[in-house]
Amino acid sequence: MSDVLKNVVDFIKENFIMGRSDACIDPDESLIESGIMDSTGVLELVEFLEATYEIQIQDEELIPENLETVNNIVNFLKTKGIS
Amino acid sequence: MAGLVHQFLETSAGVYPDKTALLDGELEATYSEIDSLANRLARLLTLHGLQKGDRVLMIMENSLKSVVGYYGVLKAGGVCVEVPERTTGAEASYYIQNSGAKICILSSSSAKRLSDIDVPCVIGPDVDLINGSITRLTWSDVKAMPDRAPENRVTECDLAAIVYTSGSTGRPKGVMLTHKNICTNTASIVSYLNLTEADRVMAVLPFYYVYGKTLLNTHFMVGGSVVVNNRFAFPNSVVKDMSDKEVTGFAGVPSTFAILLNRSVFPKTRIPSLRYITQAGGAMAPALTKRLLDCIGSTSLYIMYGATEASARLTYLPPERLLRDKLGSVGIPIPQVEITIRDESGRVLGPHEVGNICATGDNIMMGYWKDTEETRKVLKPWGLVTGDLGHKDEEGFIFLTGRKKEMLKIGGERVSPKEIEDAIVESGMVHEVAVIGRPDEYLSEVPEAFLVPLDEKSFDLDMLRAFIGQRLASHKHPRHFNIVRSLPKKPSGKIDKEALKR
Repeated sequence: MSDVLKNVVDFIKENFIMGRSDACIDPDESLIESGIMDSTGVLELVEFLEATYEIQIQDEELIPENLETVNNIVNFLKTKGIS
Repeated sequence: MAGLVHQFLETSAGVYPDKTALLDGELEATYSEIDSLANRLARLLTLHGLQKGDRVLMIMENSLKSVVGYYGVLKAGGVCVEVPERTTGAEASYYIQNSGAKICILSSSSAKRLSDIDVPCVIGPDVDLINGSITRLTWSDVKAMPDRAPENRVTECDLAAIVYTSGSTGRPKGVMLTHKNICTNTASIVSYLNLTEADRVMAVLPFYYVYGKTLLNTHFMVGGSVVVNNRFAFPNSVVKDMSDKEVTGFAGVPSTFAILLNRSVFPKTRIPSLRYITQAGGAMAPALTKRLLDCIGSTSLYIMYGATEASARLTYLPPERLLRDKLGSVGIPIPQVEITIRDESGRVLGPHEVGNICATGDNIMMGYWKDTEETRKVLKPWGLVTGDLGHKDEEGFIFLTGRKKEMLKIGGERVSPKEIEDAIVESGMVHEVAVIGRPDEYLSEVPEAFLVPLDEKSFDLDMLRAFIGQRLASHKHPRHFNIVRSLPKKPSGKIDKEALKR
């Protein structure tokens, strides 16, 4: 598991599936459909990514293609030069 | 005029059979299609023993099936008990036990999660996931039924829905709403929003929440259309959907608008079809209202106030008065509702005197399900005691001061957390804020703020403190500030202050 992938998964487990830290997250599963994140959760994730990787995420970039699944998030970070 | 709730669907299916009533992504359903499916579901429910007054638990997201479920249960003479789609197994057990529901309608994701649900009969897409020896029915069984609603003798005074509402203490209470309650309130909302068959509303609020349900019922009453979008987690996709589907209306709670204004393309997007926006679900900070007004141009903004116990709506602020002179008010009573401000003994208070907001009208609930004690606390001879505090001005416009149970007592003085929250939002430095009381040895309580900065990097707490210092007396200054990434929310989108206290 890459460091970026691990960081993202750890953040999600720690913040959104409390009490289920051993839970498995399918990297292609929708974090919204599965009920792991809601609208507030997405914003929380964005703040985390901005602070951790010192990047700016524009409002226009808050779309499912960039943030819906763990793999989408990791690929989105790659476009920002984070891998 | 009252009538029965499912007659909204039946009447519109008669007048506009081929009109699109519901849009959900690529899916579009006409009034006659929905009416036909609801008839068939009602048949199936009756076939499996549903009798007038029986409760049916629905655990579904907004969808064609949830709309069919709602009207189908009512056509069968049943009582809808809709709860959040993310309901846990323990919560579902409580709802089943408390409501006495013997039939449950599940979405595919709730069926996956609630495989151990203990109810005699389940209807859902993936019912084979459910364990135990129960009757499992699918939507294929629904479609196999004849397209004719069963006979029943439902009257407008019969129960149509039990809506669970979480109190600050104890388990959720079931608000009992009759057909008359809901129909009266729906007609009033239609009247002040001037809704017609040309209207098309974007529904991001869940239908199990009374505010969300008013979007469905009002538009089905006038033969309009409802666009369902359950992906407000990505607000930009909702904004695009609003534009693509040319919606005329949008409804949200304060956090909906905080997200739209602070973290989406909404401020940069023009939606020419958008005729009006409504806001309810808690008082919105005037500073946020101003920003919303600046952003929406000629679109009308209706600030509203209500309660689950009132079927939803109690007041609205005419948009022209919001613009002219009543920013900060939740307006005047809607048609068919009377509002009084009273003291603890029930005495009516005069202009600018703060007291309990009380309401009468045909929209006020029958009481709490199986809970006469709690019912007695809120249904008084002078109407529903909402639990909100406020006052009227000389013209009768109502201003909320806060929730009675949330009022802080700081060194003997009563302080509204809303006043502190409004001042913090006015700074323009935060995305959202919630103020609660913390026990204090000397002052009995002190304010504590949880805030989400608008820009984490540039946020300066000292600047915020200085701003608050210029606006509020010192005893109202929060003693503790917690900078957080988000605030806990209830499924309706309202801030969960009880969670913050824990």
